Amino acid sequence: MSSALFGALIIAVGAAASLTGIVVVVLGLVGHRPNWWRESRGLVWIMFAMALLAIVWMERALINRDFTIEFVAHNGSHQTSAIFNVATLWSALEGSILLWSFILTGYVAAVVVKFRDKRDDPMMAWVLLTLFVVCAFFFLLMVGPANPFRSFDPPPGFDGPGPNPLLQAHILMAFHPPILYLGYVGFTVPFAFAIGALVTGRVGEGWLLATRRWTVIAWGLLTLGIVLGAWWSYETLGWGGYWAWDAVENASILPWLTGTAFIHSVMVQERRGMLRVWNLSLVIATFSLTILGTFITRSGVIESVHAFSESGIGPALLGFFAAIVIVSLGLIAWRGDQLRSPGRIDSPLSREGAFLANNVVFAAFAFVVLLGTVFPLIVEAANDDRISVGNPYFDRMTMPIGFVLLFLMAVAPVLPWRKASSGVLADRLIWPAWIGAGAMVVSLLVGARGWAPTLAFGLGGFAGGAALRQVVLATRRQGLRGLVGRTNGGMIVHFGVVLIAVAFAASNAYVRQDTFLLEEGQTASFSGHEFTYEGVDFREYPNRVERRVAIRIDDTQVYEPGTAFYPFVGRSFGIASVRSTALQDIALRVESFPVDDDGLATGEVVIRVTVQPLIAWLWVGGGIMALGTLLAVVPGNRRNPIMPVGAPLPETATPDGRVEELV
Amino acid sequence: MTKRLASWLLVGMIAVSALAFATIDEGEPRTAADRAYALSKTIGCPACNGQSIAESAAVIARELRIEIAVWIDEGKDDAFIRARLRERFGDDIDYTPSGDGFTSLVWILPVVFGAGGVAGLVVVFRRWKREGDLSASEADSDLVAATRASRADD
Amino acid sequence: MSGDGTPESTPLRAAWIVVPVAVVMVLFIALLATRDTGDAGFASFSLEGQVAPAIVGTTIDDQPFDLDDFRGRFVVLNFFQTTCIPCVQEHPELVSFQNDYAPSGFATVVSVAFDDRPSNLRDFFDRFGGDWPVLASDTGSIIVDYGVPLVPESIVIAPNGEVIKKLRGGIGQNDLEFVIAEWQEANA
Repeated sequence: MSSALFGALIIAVGAAASLTGIVVVVLGLVGHRPNWWRESRGLVWIMFAMALLAIVWMERALINRDFTIEFVAHNGSHQTSAIFNVATLWSALEGSILLWSFILTGYVAAVVVKFRDKRDDPMMAWVLLTLFVVCAFFFLLMVGPANPFRSFDPPPGFDGPGPNPLLQAHILMAFHPPILYLGYVGFTVPFAFAIGALVTGRVGEGWLLATRRWTVIAWGLLTLGIVLGAWWSYETLGWGGYWAWDAVENASILPWLTGTAFIHSVMVQERRGMLRVWNLSLVIATFSLTILGTFITRSGVIESVHAFSESGIGPALLGFFAAIVIVSLGLIAWRGDQLRSPGRIDSPLSREGAFLANNVVFAAFAFVVLLGTVFPLIVEAANDDRISVGNPYFDRMTMPIGFVLLFLMAVAPVLPWRKASSGVLADRLIWPAWIGAGAMVVSLLVGARGWAPTLAFGLGGFAGGAALRQVVLATRRQGLRGLVGRTNGGMIVHFGVVLIAVAFAASNAYVRQDTFLLEEGQTASFSGHEFTYEGVDFREYPNRVERRVAIRIDDTQVYEPGTAFYPFVGRSFGIASVRSTALQDIALRVESFPVDDDGLATGEVVIRVTVQPLIAWLWVGGGIMALGTLLAVVPGNRRNPIMPVGAPLPETATPDGRVEELV
Repeated sequence: MTKRLASWLLVGMIAVSALAFATIDEGEPRTAADRAYALSKTIGCPACNGQSIAESAAVIARELRIEIAVWIDEGKDDAFIRARLRERFGDDIDYTPSGDGFTSLVWILPVVFGAGGVAGLVVVFRRWKREGDLSASEADSDLVAATRASRADD
Repeated sequence: MSGDGTPESTPLRAAWIVVPVAVVMVLFIALLATRDTGDAGFASFSLEGQVAPAIVGTTIDDQPFDLDDFRGRFVVLNFFQTTCIPCVQEHPELVSFQNDYAPSGFATVVSVAFDDRPSNLRDFFDRFGGDWPVLASDTGSIIVDYGVPLVPESIVIAPNGEVIKKLRGGIGQNDLEFVIAEWQEANA
């Protein structure tokens, strides 16, 4: 049996298992299969095993350069090292769907393990049904349009082109897609629970509490994946950019936006039983947006430098998106009467009020990003014109939203539930206000100007100060325990967000770039630094020839940007070299090697220098967000004494005997 | 005046003055290269997959950057450069959508959405405030009084 | 603390939210479903019907060149690179066109190359034929003036200096003849 056929068979078994799972659960719901849970569990493990086996089989093929499989023939190569061939799996479309399916079946298996105690609950049946349907969709994609195991007849001496050199250049490419997918796919679980809750009519808090940790973990992974993607762009493309509001980037941030709104808004539902329609809509929107995003990046309707090459799975993904939307809207319409909550928000000046405002602001943010991304398509449909909507639009539109969010981040954590007096606020926010004002003064002292970045620094200081205040108070009361738990971890995440926001504002406002033609030994001055061209160096590798230029910055270290020519691909790619310090990044890139009329290199080089402040804060902020998320899912010592209506008070109390509400 | 109020006033003044200073003071003037860079970040490369000419290494991107630098040297303003490029290469070379005609919707709709959101919040808060002013009913008050009386007897 | 509203209003309320959302989603999905995939490229070109921008330079044979000198003839301004495969493929068509129409002074081809060395170009024309002006130095501004994002591209200019049409991609001799004939009919 050929290896391609074996792989295809594995996928087929997985698809069959998911379809059988649907049947089994449906029969179980109707009452005809009393052992439905056990049978479904078995099918889930079969699906997981098949997906795992398929990945292992494909990786084996990639490492061995088994060109009888078309995917390997198109994406693998003897010239690239084995390690990069592993990451090749997710650099092309079919492999990425395979990775998605594997992660999905992994999550479903985890659900089956974690919730086995609830197997008699009818809601679990609906949850499993939803999960089986999603799995079936992805398996059927692999059986049909996105088949990774198509066979190929390699002519003798055939060698594949290898993965796109841009994707080989950096180790981050090995991590960014899997982590990103762990985030995306993770939202399938809360979505399945939301569907289950809607169908069974139990739209109270049960489903939320059950999946809260899953949602936060998925969110954290998605955040980390997006930050890694930005870092990879920055390091690889080398012109100092890390976020271009490009269609694929926007597709990844849309579910992040609704997901962020969701993880905040659920706190209101837990405490007061309110905002149920919001929460259901947000979690459904988050999952739908992951599917929509997958559609955008793989269908070719919007061009992007990050997009996968065109394929036939566009219509299937769009159809799945449509089905999700129809089913969800139908369920919400059907259960509309039960969704009204028994509570009222007493005052806008309260934590609930702030979270409701938060929902509106994030919804506006998502709307702006989605509108800008698809607007060229709308215009084309309306009057056949072709326009672009790019970074000037997004920067301008999201700036005020960013300011409002920073403000909310400062104020909401200090707002009490139910109602606050302005006195409470004034007391709690005075130190953060001083930090904000201090940040503005410091920025002026170092020479920064411009109202927008200065305002960003002020609000960032304000929000960062509020976050720090919470953590300081918590650690004072509880020692190291004051760093874990949802609230405290959340404050650390906020601090990371502030770092990113400040870095974003500063690097956008104060970036400088210029090009210089240098002879050997010549020095250029730019932005307070000296760049000396010291020579050119050729390096040969199995799959490429590199031409590196030695540039000494400020008489200290030498950096080596250059170009790499890949004969197999037939073109050159730039190699960037970046000097990162805590306060500033200098990115160097070779523009060209001038030649004279006879085609001989003149020995000169044209380099492009990009100087940007605070870039390192982006990655540090991302790391802090990931750390904060991890701390947030550690089970906390304290528990909310104010549980949703009808729940008994917990027995545990704090060490000094009081059941205390922190914050 | 309480200490707290004084503190807030002071911090407010510092913040506002800092912001005003940052707005008014020009700082270092922008060089022609800075202007060219800022402009080229917003012009798309016509032969690349969605990269701007500031980012792309393609020949056409380089030529366009050179041309923009030439135009800036000649004293042309941003509006002229954008219009010229749109004329030659089509509207979609400019990343800033225009404010005319159908395209203006992309600027207007988010503002409408945002205003709608704020209006919705205001309406909802007002309504809840009206409904939320609870006062105990007669029967409830009597019940509480009776309970207190019986407790006082213990 | 009830204030839920009367029972009749709540199902209505759900419909109020769901129906407009559903309408928007249907429109949105229809929009995405009917889009062309793949890059159709930058399409519009406004120079048609206008006077062709001036070109002054030196050919690879070190001869001075001025586009105005060619008034009275049809000019096929062909943008290409020796490394671009469709350009190489269309070259024989251009040679044939030149042989047919240049001797009588009816039309001529003019090549504009960029990012290509003059020595390469000389070799290319020696091998593949083609006896017409070839510009290779300082051609960057010509590309911008004529709005040429990609090669190959050919722009047909009328004897009065007006731009007739832009032809994307590789062309054949009959494409050029068709464009010229069309213009002649319209301006008879």
